[in-house]
Order: sequence, then structure tokens, then C-alpha cells
Amino acid sequence: MKRSKYLILSGLIALLFSCEKNVSVDIPTASEEVVVEGRIETDTFPIVVLSKTLPFFGEINRNEFLNQTIPGATVIVSDGTLTDTLLQILPDYGVYFGTQIRGQAGKSYTLSVQVNGKTLRSVTTIPYPVKLDSVWWKVNGNKDSLGFAWAHLTDPDTIGNCYQWLAQRINKYTYGKDIGRQKDSVFVAGLGSAFEDKFFNGKSFDFSFARGTFSFSDKEDDTNDEQFYFKRGDTVVVKYCSIDRASFEFWRTEDSQVQSNGNPFGSPAPISTNINGGLGIWAGYAPQYDTIFCK
Amino acid sequence: MNKISLYVLFLLALPLSGFSQQFTISGFVKEESTGESLVGANVYLKENLKGTTSNSYGFYSLTVPAGTYTLIFSFLGFQNQEIPLVLDKDIRQNTALKNSFIETKEVTITAEKEDRNIQSTEMGRQKLDIEKIKTLPAFMGEVDILKSIQLLPGVSSAGEGNSGFYVRGGGPDQNLILLDEANVYNASHLFGFFSVFNSDAIQNVTLTKGNMPANYGGRLASVLDIQMKEGNNQRFSGEGGIGFVSSRLTLEGPIKKDTGSFIISARRTFIDLFFGKPFVSESSDISGNKYFFYDLNAKVNYRLSDKDRLFLSGYFGRDVFNFKSPNSDFYIRVPWGNATATARWNHLFGNNLFLNSSLIYTNYKFEFEGGQNDFSFKLFSGITDYNLKEDFTWNPHPKHTVKFGGQYIFHVFVPSNATAKSGEVSFDIGKILRQYAHDAAIYLNDEYEINDRWLVNAGLRHTYFQQVGPFDRYILDPISGNATDTIKYKTGENVKRYSHLEPRFAIRYSINHLSSLKASVSQNNQYIHLASLSSISLPTDTWIPSSDKVKPQSGTQYALGYFRNFGLNTYESSVEVYYKTMQNQIEYEEGFLPENTVNSNLDNYFVAGKGWSYGSEFFIKKNKGKFNGWIGYTIAWTKRRFPDLNNGKTFFPKYDRRHDVSIVLSYEISKRWMLGATWVYATGNLNTFPERVFVLSNGDILQDYGGQRNNYRLSAYHRMDVSATLKGKPHKNYENSWNFSIFNVYNRYNPYIIYFDTDYSNDKITIQAKQISLFPIIPSVTYNFKF
Repeated sequence: MKRSKYLILSGLIALLFSCEKNVSVDIPTASEEVVVEGRIETDTFPIVVLSKTLPFFGEINRNEFLNQTIPGATVIVSDGTLTDTLLQILPDYGVYFGTQIRGQAGKSYTLSVQVNGKTLRSVTTIPYPVKLDSVWWKVNGNKDSLGFAWAHLTDPDTIGNCYQWLAQRINKYTYGKDIGRQKDSVFVAGLGSAFEDKFFNGKSFDFSFARGTFSFSDKEDDTNDEQFYFKRGDTVVVKYCSIDRASFEFWRTEDSQVQSNGNPFGSPAPISTNINGGLGIWAGYAPQYDTIFCK
Repeated sequence: MNKISLYVLFLLALPLSGFSQQFTISGFVKEESTGESLVGANVYLKENLKGTTSNSYGFYSLTVPAGTYTLIFSFLGFQNQEIPLVLDKDIRQNTALKNSFIETKEVTITAEKEDRNIQSTEMGRQKLDIEKIKTLPAFMGEVDILKSIQLLPGVSSAGEGNSGFYVRGGGPDQNLILLDEANVYNASHLFGFFSVFNSDAIQNVTLTKGNMPANYGGRLASVLDIQMKEGNNQRFSGEGGIGFVSSRLTLEGPIKKDTGSFIISARRTFIDLFFGKPFVSESSDISGNKYFFYDLNAKVNYRLSDKDRLFLSGYFGRDVFNFKSPNSDFYIRVPWGNATATARWNHLFGNNLFLNSSLIYTNYKFEFEGGQNDFSFKLFSGITDYNLKEDFTWNPHPKHTVKFGGQYIFHVFVPSNATAKSGEVSFDIGKILRQYAHDAAIYLNDEYEINDRWLVNAGLRHTYFQQVGPFDRYILDPISGNATDTIKYKTGENVKRYSHLEPRFAIRYSINHLSSLKASVSQNNQYIHLASLSSISLPTDTWIPSSDKVKPQSGTQYALGYFRNFGLNTYESSVEVYYKTMQNQIEYEEGFLPENTVNSNLDNYFVAGKGWSYGSEFFIKKNKGKFNGWIGYTIAWTKRRFPDLNNGKTFFPKYDRRHDVSIVLSYEISKRWMLGATWVYATGNLNTFPERVFVLSNGDILQDYGGQRNNYRLSAYHRMDVSATLKGKPHKNYENSWNFSIFNVYNRYNPYIIYFDTDYSNDKITIQAKQISLFPIIPSVTYNFKF
């Protein structure tokens, strides 16, 4: 919808002899903020990554993500009864693992982070899981070996369910420079991965997802015709998560920014956050897993 | 000044002194060659210089003691007419004025009494002469009155190629745009690059910036009153033109000579022809585009009797954008536009009470339809008004002009609605919502000349607005944002009502016959609001009523001005200062996304705040001679404060402009050649840019807008345009002319949008700011003809 609006504008502007040039913009240097990326899933210990914001026009090296993390913080998760002080396992990097509390559907978890003399707080709830009725793969149009992942969902009759769809190909490349390596090393959330039941509350229907890719991925099948498609022969694990509203808002605004990057008519919304005193997200997940054999 | 003292002054101005034996001279003033009504013609008595001016229907009325007089009609650009008369009874005197120099009519800057700017109480009011506008440089050859008014001090352009305008710190929705008394809700074509007004069909354009007299209301910032031509009632004639963008044709003529006439005018663009072969290859991304717009204006008028005249006029315009992807079955269809219809009846009671009754329909709608394979969706919004107006003008005495009347509008709003389906399954994207409102006003306005030095114009307008059912109010859960409850209102049931008294007061003090001081105070309320999400003005912007959630906007403006003419009224100049406060300004809440409104009301997502602006406007204009034009300069400040935006701190809105300069010059080289030039300069617009970035573990780079709203000012906008008009050799049966324009002569790349793109190489990511400029130097040629 949004895209189509830009399309019109772009078409018209292209017609009207527009001109584009690089300019330098003098944005005042801003203070550094703490970014929280934390999660607690059902039956799993919490994980929290702390990192810091970067100047707007600085150079970002994505292989050095870990260097931007903040070690030495005190990270505490509590379910109201138990308290879990997360451990920083890697000495120089701000990645913190829980060891006491495993997530349970329907429970709320508070997070408190003490870092650089500041305290950041947040709370999340793990919703009850919703299982997909079935999943399958279907060739798209006349693409003979490429297709999307499909699923049938029966949404519970209560408004306000939010979901996130992630997928991972666990078969190995049988060709190319990555031969012998598993196609996806982790679960990937594609564009539009988070959604809510506002439009389909209580309905039972089919829907499809394209294959997600990481930003700036230069893998061969992320840049050629296979981009966005699962290929005949792939084995795909679908991780279908129930998430709370704050996580949904975070992923939705995240998506909107990623999509509008490089689009002159994009009006990127600020990223929603549930972290008091910082940026990022503290999210509870209730995942359900399914496997698709693409054939 | 508080309200009470305003009322007292108003009442003081009202009493009418008793008159001795008085008679009334009244009638209509028109142009001889075409029979068009002349608006603002001066009618006065040679003996005592008592006089008046004709109203927007060409009617005048003058009541004076019995006696022997010479009645003079005068109008700049026309020959004076003197009529001796013995006034011993009421007299009807219609007249037709002759052009004084037909060939150079275009040189006339303004058709007004030469020192009207000094003598009236009017401030911040400008009248534009269409013939003059036509000789100025025009963007791609399209003469555009909305762009011309942006050349006046106190009026800022909304941006490059945009016909939206901001008056004294008010938003674009705070301008009342009337076409033959009908509201035009979206006055632009092609996302604002062109205005909907076809200059061939327009007779008069008057802009009032604030301190509107009490007969106008409903908006905070300004009134742009546009009158369509009436049509030549002497002979059949036509005019037209072909430019780079569109072609135009206007036909007019008598229905019955001297009694009735018609005019019909059409304009259509032909840029869509260039989207197809051979200009764009079939596989190109834009080859499936098709865009055009058209306008139709029509008007008839008929004099039923000496005291009755009937006018019917209408406007219909559409923009249509179609896209069909050449590579898939994805399609989009986007039509939008305005339609207006006005029926008016002028009636004269006795000799000095003039009534205009109007019945008006106006509609604006926008649709967006698209789909692919089985999936299709439609988005639509709009507004429809049914309007009845009664306006009386009473001239009991040459010192008194009393205007009173009332109006009633029934509004039907269609805020953004959507439907979607995939195959046979319809998605629940919310009920189709409409909102209904009654909007009424009564007013009384009196202009009273106390003596030669003091002239007072006082008015009072009482406004009433009520939103009525059927209406569903969704009550939202504060955490999830989902509707948890609905309040249902039945048809006609009160949802919310508002009512206000709006005093208006203006005073003039003549220092001498060449200079005057003026002051004014006015209060206005605005009950309908434009919800605009994007940083540029789009046809998707929706109108919404005041409701239980959205309070009416209200504004108070104080203005002071000094007016001075020199060189036998060859030059006029003015300095005005103003201070304006605005309450209940609305904006979308921070982080609002359009899909939030599904199963909810749009006005659940607004936040309200206040605004204020102040500034000074300088204006000097040369009216006469081969070389004429004007210079306008504005220095101004506009601020907003919303408890829920920008952490409650004051911020400058996007269109806060510190400096605004416009220079308009024209020079008549010979009877055939005419040169024009304009130069504009404006402080750059403000934008909100992110202050820092952060990286997620999945590699996504996100921007953080944590800082000050509108924290970055784009570089200044400036541009020079030139034009030359060549008239064809005079011919008995027709006239023709060529207009050559060059837009942006020194090819300035003015910023339109700045956006950010990420460059990725060798695992290094940098963010680059990119500026888009729309229009480089663009020459154009337009051919015009008249017969």
C-alpha cells in the first residue's frame, strides 16, 4: 500500500525532471544511549545484549557488532518470585545469559539493567502459544522450482493476538562457494514478519511468507533469482511465535524503517521501545515449530 | 483588548442618525464590451465627493439628500462616465463603462480606486488582476493564481512547485478557498504542482489575510475569494491556448443580448501521451503509468428583471493516475478531484437593500484502488457540503454600509476508509465510517465613516457547529490500542456541539489624503480540520470535523498598519505588523501509522496544542507606467507547543520562515512586447532528522529520532523566472499572443526532500544524505488566442 504510493510519486517525479545529489547535513552530535535487545522464550533462559548508539554519519562495520556491545553491566530478570542475575560469559562483550528462570506462557518478567550509573527498566509478558494448523510450500506462478512458505492459521477469537514469523533453512548448499554449509545459520525474520490479528480476528485462513534475508546480505541466493524464495529441496523450520504488543510495535516500526531506507518518500517512524531509560526491546516469545519439506 | 470592550465599540458604531429628505441612487456597473459585472468600481458625486463602490455583483447604492448632482463612475483602465441628475426621487442608474485603452489593458495592475488602499479599513487584503498574472512568468506555461498569490507578502509557498500556501503562520487548511462561493477543499492538481483554477475562467481573485470581515468565517488564516467570469452578453467569443502541459478552450456568449450570458471553459493535460510509445520503452518501470487531469468550468447568468438576477455556476475537475505493471498483473487506479455547483439569486429590495441567496454543493473525493492476482484493495476519503447562504447589503447612508446574513452547511465527511479482499474472502478492515455535522453562522457587519479621519468597521459573527449521528465512537484500550467498546449514536443524535461569538473590529485613521494608519482585531473559529501525515501535501490528506475528541481551532489576530501612497498614487506602500494566537491546533500523535485507524476513529490519534506567530510585512508597488511591479518582504516567526509532542517543548513548525522576499516586475517595451520577471527567496523548511543510529544483532541499522522536533533547516529556497509576451499583429476578428517563460533561470537546485541512504561496501556501512531537487531550468512556450 505504502509502496504503491511511493511508486506513483516516483513515477511522476521521474517525469518531472528531478535531480538528485549527495549533500552533507550537519546534524548536531547527540549523546550516546544504551540499546537493549533482550528476549525470554518459553522453556528457555533469558538472553540480553546491550549495545550503544553510534553517531549518525559515522562508519559502521557490521562485523564488529560485538565491539559495540557494553560489557560489565548488571542485568537482572525477575518473575516476581525468582530473581536471575544474568551472566556475562564472553569477557569483553555485553551479551548476558540467564541461568535460573525459564520462560512460561502467561507470566510477566521484569528486566533491570544497571549500566554507566543509569538504571534501565522494562517488563514483558510471554503470551500463550498459537499453533499453525498446517504448513506447506507452493511454487509461485510459473517459477518452476521457487516458491513461498504457506500456512493455515485459526486465530483465537480474542482480539489483540500478535505474531512473528521466522524461518530457517536447515539443509546444506550442494553448490556454490558455501557448499556443505547449512543454508541459514539462524532463524531469519523477513519483512513484515510481525503482524497482529486486527484484520483477521477469529478467522481461519491461508497465508504465505517470502523468505527473509538479512540486510546487506551478499550471499549468492540472496542476490539472484532465488531472493525471497524457498527452493525445491529445501527443508525449512518455521518458528511461529506469539508475541506481546510491545514486541509487535517494535518489529513493525523496525520493518517500516528498514523498508523506507533509501526511499525519498519514506517517512520513517521512530522505533517503538518498551525500555524505560534506553532504546530497544525486552520481548517475551511463545514459539511453535513446524517443518516444511519443499517438494 | 478584551471581548467586552469590542462589543461596546461595535454597538457604538451601529446607531444610525436620523436623516432629512433622502433619496437613493442605485444600479449595476458593467463592462461595455463584454457585459461582465465590474466589481469595485467607484461611484461618487462630483459635488460632495460622497461615494461608494460596486459590490461583487456590480451593484451599488448611494443614499444622499435631495439635490442636483453629477454622478461619476470611475474604474482604473476605463473611461470615467459622468451623469448629471436631479435627485428628487429614488433613481435607478445602470451603466456600462468603456475600456480607456483597449490594447494596453493588460498593463493595468489593479482595477481599484487609486487610493483605496489608503482610504478603506482593509488590511492584509490584496486583489489580483488576472490579465496581469497572465503576463508574469508561469511554471511550464500554466498560469496559476495560487502561485501568484504566493508572491504577496505574508503568504508563503508550501514548497517547490506546490500550490498550497501558508498565511501568517497558519496551516494550508486554515485558508478558506471559495470559487463562486463554493468551498474548494483541495485546490491542487498533480500533488500540488498545479492549481485547480483555470485562469481563463476566472474574473477576480481577492485574498484577505486575517482580520476578515464578519461575512466570512470558518477558517483561521485567510479567505481566497475567486469569482468566475460571467460570460460575454454582447457577442459570442472565445479564447484558448496550447502550452507544454495542457490545452485550454473557453467559449462565451449571450443567451439573450444584455440580459443573459453563458461561459464554458475546459482544460486538459496531455502529459499522459508521453508515457506511451515512442517516448518510454514498454519494459521501462514507468511505462505503465498514465496520468492526466482536467477541469471544466461553466456559468450562466440571466437578468430576470431590473431587480433580479440569477447565476448558475459549476466546477468539475479530476486527476486520474493509472498504473499497470508491465511485468506483472499489479495495478493501481487513483482518481481524485473536486466538484462544485452554485445557484445564486440577486434581489434588490427597494433601492438600497441587496440580497444574494446562494445554494451551494461542493464535494471532494479521493480514491485509491489497487490489486494483484486475487487480492484487491480500495482506500477512499472525501467531504461533501450542502450549503445555503443569505447575504444582505444595506446602504442606508453613504457613511454606512451594513452587511448581515447567515449561512448553514451540512457536512458529510468520509475520513479514510478501506476495503480489501483476497479471492472471495473480504478482510475486516473496519466499518465504513462517515461523520455528519451541522455548521451554521449569522453575522452583522457595519462600516461607518465617523468623519473624514475616522472610519470604523465592526462586526460580530455567531457560529454554531454540531456533530450528529449516525456515528460510532470507538473507545480504545490504552495499552493495546484496540477498540474495547463502541458508543453508537443514532441518526441525528447529538455527538457534540460548539458555539462561539466572533468579534471583528477594524479602524482607519487618515493622517492626510496620502497616508493612513489602520488597526484591527479579529477572532475566528475553525470547526473542520485537515489531517495531514506526510511531509508534502497529498490528495490523501483528509478533512475531519470537530467532535467529542477534537475541539474547534480558534484564533485571535491583532494587526497594525501604516499605508502611504506617493507620486500621485503611482506608488503605494505599506508596513503591517501582526500577532496571532491559535488554540487547539491538531497533529497526529507521535509514531502514528495509518493502519491504526482500522476499527477505530481517525480522531482518536490526534494531539492538540497551541501556536502563535508574529511578524512584519513590507510592501511597495508601482501601479502605473510602462514599468511596474512590486516588492514584498516578510519577516516572521511561527511557533507551536503541544504537551504530547517534542517532550512538551516549544518547536518551530516545518513552514516557519524567517525571511520571505518576492520581487515582481513587468515592463512594456512596445504595444506588442511585454517582459516580466519574478524573484523569490524563502528561508528553508524545517525537517526532523534522526540524531543517532543503532545496530541490531541481525544487522539491521536503525535510526533514532530522540531529539528536537524539526531540528534541521534545509538550505534557502530562491529562484528567478522570466517571461516575454508577444502579441500578434492587431486583427479585426481575433487576437493572439505567445508567452515565453523560463522557470528557474539560474538553475538553482532548491531542496525538495532530503533522505538517507546506506552505502555498503567491504562490510562497512555509511549513511549518506541525498537531496532531491525537482525543477531545474525549464523553458516553456504557450500560445494563446481570443476571438
